[in-house]
Amino acid sequence: MNAPLPDLSQCAQEPIRVPGAIQPLGWMSVIDGNGQLVAWSANWPDRDRAALAAGLARGALDRLDSTGEGPAALGHIELGDQALDVLAHRSGDLYVLEFEPHVREAGIQAPIYSLARHFLPQMQRAESLQDILELAAVEMKRLSGFGRTLVYRFDDEGHGEVLAEAADRGYESYADHRFPAADVPTQARELYRVNHIRLIADATYEPVPLLGAPGWDPSSLDLTYSTLRSVSPVHLEYMRNMGTLASMSVSIVVRNKLWGLISCHNHEPMRLPYQARAACEHLGRLLSLQVAAKEDNAEVATRLDLRHLTLQIVSHLADSDGTLQRLVAEPALLLRMARASGAAVVLNEQCWTCGETPEPSQIAALAKWIAGRNQDVWSTDRLVEEYPAAAPFVARGAGVLALSISQVHQHLVLWFRPELVETIRWAGDPRKEVDVDVGGRIHPRRSFASWQERVRGRSAPWTSSEVAATEELRHALIGIVLRRAEELAEVATELGRVNKELEAFSYTVSHDLRAPMRHIAGYVDLVQDMEGKTLSERSNRYLAHVKEAAAYAGHLVDALLDFSRMGRAALKRKPVNSLLLVQELVAEFTRQEPTRNFEWDISHDLPMLWADPFLLQVALRNLLANAVKYTRTRDVARIRVTAVTTADGDGLKVADNGVGFQQKYVSKLFGVFQRLHQAEDFEGTGIGLASVRRIVERHGGVVWAQGEPDQGAEFGFTLPRADVGPQPRPRQVKDQ
Amino acid sequence: MLKPILLVEDDKRDLELTLVALERSQLANEVIVVRDGAQALDYLLREGDFRGRDEGNPAVVLLDLKLPKVNGLEVLQKVRATPALRSTPVVMLTSSQEESDVVRSYELGVNAYVVKPVEFKQFVGAIADLGVFWAVLNEPPPGSLKASSRRYE
Repeated sequence: MNAPLPDLSQCAQEPIRVPGAIQPLGWMSVIDGNGQLVAWSANWPDRDRAALAAGLARGALDRLDSTGEGPAALGHIELGDQALDVLAHRSGDLYVLEFEPHVREAGIQAPIYSLARHFLPQMQRAESLQDILELAAVEMKRLSGFGRTLVYRFDDEGHGEVLAEAADRGYESYADHRFPAADVPTQARELYRVNHIRLIADATYEPVPLLGAPGWDPSSLDLTYSTLRSVSPVHLEYMRNMGTLASMSVSIVVRNKLWGLISCHNHEPMRLPYQARAACEHLGRLLSLQVAAKEDNAEVATRLDLRHLTLQIVSHLADSDGTLQRLVAEPALLLRMARASGAAVVLNEQCWTCGETPEPSQIAALAKWIAGRNQDVWSTDRLVEEYPAAAPFVARGAGVLALSISQVHQHLVLWFRPELVETIRWAGDPRKEVDVDVGGRIHPRRSFASWQERVRGRSAPWTSSEVAATEELRHALIGIVLRRAEELAEVATELGRVNKELEAFSYTVSHDLRAPMRHIAGYVDLVQDMEGKTLSERSNRYLAHVKEAAAYAGHLVDALLDFSRMGRAALKRKPVNSLLLVQELVAEFTRQEPTRNFEWDISHDLPMLWADPFLLQVALRNLLANAVKYTRTRDVARIRVTAVTTADGDGLKVADNGVGFQQKYVSKLFGVFQRLHQAEDFEGTGIGLASVRRIVERHGGVVWAQGEPDQGAEFGFTLPRADVGPQPRPRQVKDQ
Repeated sequence: MLKPILLVEDDKRDLELTLVALERSQLANEVIVVRDGAQALDYLLREGDFRGRDEGNPAVVLLDLKLPKVNGLEVLQKVRATPALRSTPVVMLTSSQEESDVVRSYELGVNAYVVKPVEFKQFVGAIADLGVFWAVLNEPPPGSLKASSRRYE
C-alpha cells in the first residue's frame, strides 16, 4: 500500500454489543430466571404488554437449553389479535425474547427446504472453491431476494476481496474489488464470528430504546446474539452513502476464524422473515464447511506435494557429497519447492545460484543482513520495505524466503520471487473520505466509486505451507550437513590414525630394517678384509653379491622412507628459480659421470616456480637422473630441458634420446616400485618417478610422460601459479 | 691421560661393528661399553654398579637412540639436566633418520646426530671421524675422566 489508510480506530471503540436499543422490526422482552420482566423495548404499548408476551413465551423456554448460544425459534404466540414469532436466547442469567410478526409455516415451501433441495446438489457437483462461491452468491440472492450479493474473503490484513457476486440490473458491480479493512472494524468482525447473521432492514430506521425495570440499566444488556440488535449509526450512514437501505451479512467461519462474509445489499428497505433468515444462515454454514473442506484438501495436497519435493531434494543431496551448494544442481526441484524463480546457496563468502536472482554481491549483502536477524526461517513478500538496498533488484527479488542452516556460520538458502505489479480495485478510495465532524464524530466515506491502486515492490506472498515445507527442508539439511561433518570428522580421525600407523611403520623400518642390512654389509666387509686373500675367487664373488644385495636393500629402505616423508612433511612454498636448480643438477651429474658424453640443451627461459625448494629439487633430480640413466647406452646422451606453460600453470619438460618405453605402460610408470627395465640393465629402486608424481601432485600440479621404445622419453610437469585460482585440492590424500 | 669414550649400544652386532670401527680409527682412548640407558646413567652418575668408579666424565658419549629401559633421548635429557654432566659431548648414533628424533635430540642439546650408514666402509669412516673429533680434537671440559681399562658388558 502506497498511502496509509485512515485511522478508523475510533469505530473500533464503539460499544456495538450493548447498544441499548433495537431495530423496529419487532419487540423485545427480557426476563430473569424467575420470569420477572427486567427490560423491554419501548415500542410495546406498555410494560404489561411486554410482560404478557414474555409470559406467553415462557413455557417454551425449556427447549432453549439444548440449542446453543444463538437465538432459537420457539414457535409463535397469539397476543390479542396479533400472531408473533418468538426467538429466544440466553444472555447471562437472563432470557432475551424477541418477537416478530408471525409468518405462516411454509412446509416444503420453506426456504430451508428449497435450499437443501436446490443448492446442496449443485454444491456437491462443484469442483473448485470458486465455483462453490459463485453458486453461493446466486443462491443467497435467490433465498434473500436482495438486489446484490457479494461473497468476499478477508485477507491477512483484513481487507475484503470480492470473489463472487450476483447482482440485479441497476446494481453496481463490485466483482474483484476490495473493501478496506476499516470498513469492518475489529469488534464488528468479532460479532460476525460468533453471530453468523445480521439483518439491517432499513438504514433509515430510528432505533427503539430498551427500557429497564427500576434499578436495571438496559444499556448493560449484551445483545451479541440478538436478531433485532440496533447497529452503529456510523454503519447506517455508510449504508446510506452507499445507496443501500437494506443489508444482510452472513458469516463464513472457517476453523473458528472469520474467513469472509456473504454480504447482501438492497437499494430499498427489505424485511426478511425468520425462516428465510434461517435458510440464509444455514447456507452460510454449508459454505463454511465446504470452504474448510476444500481448503483442507488443497492444503493436504500442497503439503504432500511439498513433502515429496523436500524428500527428492534431500535424497539428491544425500546421494552427493552432501555439501549445500549441491542444492542448486537440481534447480527445478529447488525452485518448484518454493514456487520461486530464483534460488541461492550462500556459504559464508561464497554464493551459488540458479534461476533468476540478484547479483552474487547483492545476494551476499542480503544474506548478511538476513543472518543478522537471527531467524531460522525468514520471509517477506515486500523486501524493499524492510531492506531498501533491495530496490535495484526488485524485479528479480521483490520477495525472499531464507533458511538459515547454521547458528555459527553464515550458511543460508534463499529463494527469490519477482515483483508482481498488481492493480487493486478498491470499492472507494481507502485513503480518503473519512470525515470527522465538529462534534468529533466520525463519518464514513461517501464514495464507493471504483478506485484503482497499483501496488509495486511486492511478490506473490509465501504461503504458510510453503514456509512450513522449507522449515522441514531446513531440518533435513541440517541433518545432512551434520552427518556430513561427522563423516568428515571420522575420515579425518581415520586418516590421522592411518598417518600415525604409517609413521610408526616408517620408524620401525628405519630402525629395524636398516640395522640388519648394515650388519650384513658390515660383516661381509670384515670377512673380505680379513679372509679375502685366502678365499676362492668364487667365494669372493658370492660375498660381493651378498654385500651388493644388502646395500641395495638398504638404499631401498632409505628411498621408501624419503618417499613416505614426502607425503607427510608440510609444503614450504616460495618462488624457486628452476633454471638455477637445473643448472646445478646438471653440473652435479656431469661431475659424477666424467667419462660420458653429454649434450645438454637447457632453455634459458625456464620459469620461476611456486614450490617447496627441497621437494622440487628432489623431483628434478629424479627426472634428470632418469634421463642420465636411460641414455647410458647412447654414444651421445642428448638431454633437453624446456619450459612448459599451460592454462593450469608453469613447469618443465625433460626429453632424452634414451631407451624410451612403450606408451601403453605410461600409467605404470609413476607407480611405486614400478620398473620397466631389467634390474641388471639399469640400477634403481623404482621409486623415483613415484616421488616425482607425489611431489607434483602435492603442489596441485600435473605430471605426464611420453615415450617410444628406443626413441627416447619425455617427462613433464606443471605446478599451479601462486597468484591464480583456488588452492590445490587435497588429491594426495587418496594415495597415502 | 686420554679420557674414555662411553659407548651405549644394545645391539651386539652394532656394538661389535662399532668397536671394530673405533679400533680401525686407531684412537687410543679406552672405550667403556654399556648396554642400555639405565647402565649409561649409572655410569655417568656413578651410581649402582658404577658407584665405585673414579671421578671424571668421558670424552664423548656415543649414544644409541633406541635403547631398552631408558632410551637415548631420556639419557640425553638427564645428562643435560645434571650440572656435572651438562658439558659432556653427546653424539646420537642411530639408525633413525626420523625428523622428529633429530629435532628432539637437538632440542635436548645433542652435540651431533649421526645416522649409521648402511655400507661398512662409510660406517667406519663416520665412526673414525667422530672419535677423532670428539676424543682428540675437541678440548674437553675440565674434570674429564682419566683413562681406565675396564670394560663393562
